[in-house]
Amino acid sequence: MQDVPPSVSNDVSPVTGRRGVSVPDLLVALGVTVLGVLLLIGTLQIPFGINAVVGPRVFPLIVSVGMTVLGALLTVNALRGERAEPAAEEDTDPNAPVNLGAAGIILGGFLLGAVLLPSLGFVLGTALMYFAVAYAFGERRWGLMVVVALVVALVTYEVFTRGLGLTLPPGVLRGII
Amino acid sequence: MEALTALFAGFETALTPLNLLWALVGVTLGTLVGVLPGIGPALTVALLLPVTAKLPPVSAFIMFAGIYYGGMFGGSTTSILLNTPGESSSIITALEGNKMARRGRAAAALATAAIGSFVAGTIGTMLLTFAAPAIAEIAVQIPPSAKFALIMLAFVTISATFGGSPLRGLVSLFLGLAVGLIGTDLQSGQARFTLGRPELLDGIDFITVVIGLFAIGETLYVASRLRRDRASVIKLEGNASMTRQDWRRSWKPWLRGTALGFPFGAIPAGGAEIPTFLSYTLEKRLSKHPEEFGKGAIEGVAGPEAANNAAAAGVLVPLLTLGLPTSATAAILLAAFQQYGLQPGPLLFVTNADLVWGLIASLYIGNVMLLALNLPLAPIWARLLLIPRPFLYAGILVFSTVGVYSLNNSVFDLILLALFGVIGYGMRRFDFPVTPAIIGVILGPTAESQFRTALQQSNGDFGIFARQPLTAFILVVVALALILPPILRARAARRA
Repeated sequence: MQDVPPSVSNDVSPVTGRRGVSVPDLLVALGVTVLGVLLLIGTLQIPFGINAVVGPRVFPLIVSVGMTVLGALLTVNALRGERAEPAAEEDTDPNAPVNLGAAGIILGGFLLGAVLLPSLGFVLGTALMYFAVAYAFGERRWGLMVVVALVVALVTYEVFTRGLGLTLPPGVLRGII
Repeated sequence: MEALTALFAGFETALTPLNLLWALVGVTLGTLVGVLPGIGPALTVALLLPVTAKLPPVSAFIMFAGIYYGGMFGGSTTSILLNTPGESSSIITALEGNKMARRGRAAAALATAAIGSFVAGTIGTMLLTFAAPAIAEIAVQIPPSAKFALIMLAFVTISATFGGSPLRGLVSLFLGLAVGLIGTDLQSGQARFTLGRPELLDGIDFITVVIGLFAIGETLYVASRLRRDRASVIKLEGNASMTRQDWRRSWKPWLRGTALGFPFGAIPAGGAEIPTFLSYTLEKRLSKHPEEFGKGAIEGVAGPEAANNAAAAGVLVPLLTLGLPTSATAAILLAAFQQYGLQPGPLLFVTNADLVWGLIASLYIGNVMLLALNLPLAPIWARLLLIPRPFLYAGILVFSTVGVYSLNNSVFDLILLALFGVIGYGMRRFDFPVTPAIIGVILGPTAESQFRTALQQSNGDFGIFARQPLTAFILVVVALALILPPILRARAARRA
């Protein structure tokens, strides 16, 4: 997804719509509309309830029609040049160049850790996730990252399994921890 | 007087050594997690849910009470020392408190926030003690159609007041409603939107949605536009404390803030943003030092912070008496009740009196503990702000994984978590508020069930929504809340 630095859009008021159409905003608006239509199709596949005054279809119908209408309104607004201001958050810099790679590394690391979690075990699985996030946030002290990742994962595992009685998979470390 | 007797019974429950310990664990964990940047009270409660998984309900809710108030206290520390509000109701504290801290008055700002929160929390809890049973008695008689209308009112006000654009708020709400539809319909047994996956027959757990949208979404978003220069944390020398003059300037704003905050929190369409802004405006008008406002006036921290905490106590009134959450945090508390098979509402005071009153009593206890924990230990909490961001956000991700994975020990849930994380990223990037989605997920199924119960009682006659006077009145208010703002804006635009 291509991204526009917010500094570009700061100088023009969103109400006047003198700018061109923002493609990402338009795609999001169309996405909401498509989601509404998909929900509507899904709704029509729900069988009518038997013996019910109001069947299981009525509420989904309201939600899907509502979503479609809201998506259409968003699309109209996007075509008139409205664009969203990215949220200002605690540790973010609104003028920093957008780095989708970092988000991708976190997501990839998380999914890899999640898929391997039952076989590798909770400690190694979450240590992998921890490492991916720390790396994506710019940490490069490799040894420290490995140690902290393992310690945090291990302490979490021990506290939740021994202290609080949850069951988490030990995986390859079965018998060791 | 009946309330007092019940309250004393509640204190008997809450004052057992073990429950006192859980309350202390709750306030400590709540403050600890609440202080961390990027984590607001709602996420604090959601992340800490697995910690209570093996506790009996009474102890679990006593701990939640501590986490709830602790998260609010912790948030003000972050706002003042780091200038970063974790939620919209802390914006004012960040604005005025951080200016105070920059002028070297961090200790006084933290103290007036903590003591003000204590005063407001205690008075708010007292009002809750007497208001809640009275409202519960009336609430028993509210018909399903009016309950449905009340939920609509909460939906509309929450979507319209969070974030700048009502349209975006409504999209967020509908997204939550759609997620809430997934699973087996309880009344007919029909599977809906499960895409043939057996994992989805039980629906998507709200914890997955909350942690995905808040924690994972936040982590992805911050990573994508990370602040490279270190945000400046203001050093705190010594304890949080106030001078005699600070006290003189603070006590009236505390009381006025409480008076504004509680009623706004307690009405089903409330929330904490409006009273904090009102309190700030009021203090600015009444102050003898209006020129200090915007540069670090102590009244500007004392009033809004009291209003914020009084609203937090007020929010528990509709939650406990009507089962109606009016903030994201309350919605998560409601879902936590449901996990224990409890439905908050008027009957809860009859069926689970020991739990409700134990919870209310522990709010008083938690407040005292928080004051004792926050004034002398403020420097320790302040140090948490110095955790390097790579390690902080990596830790948040690991805790999120525990919370979601421990639900069903299923990788499928973790994939869903990632999916909601991506949606959460998109919502931040494209300015959709997250709270309406959370309220939609949790309250949507209740709305549907009240809607269908009302229609079953009237044999399918939709006229019930117009004929039942209370229902009709609330629905008219809902319609006005939806229609009026755009019309007013259009008229203002034409005139300009």
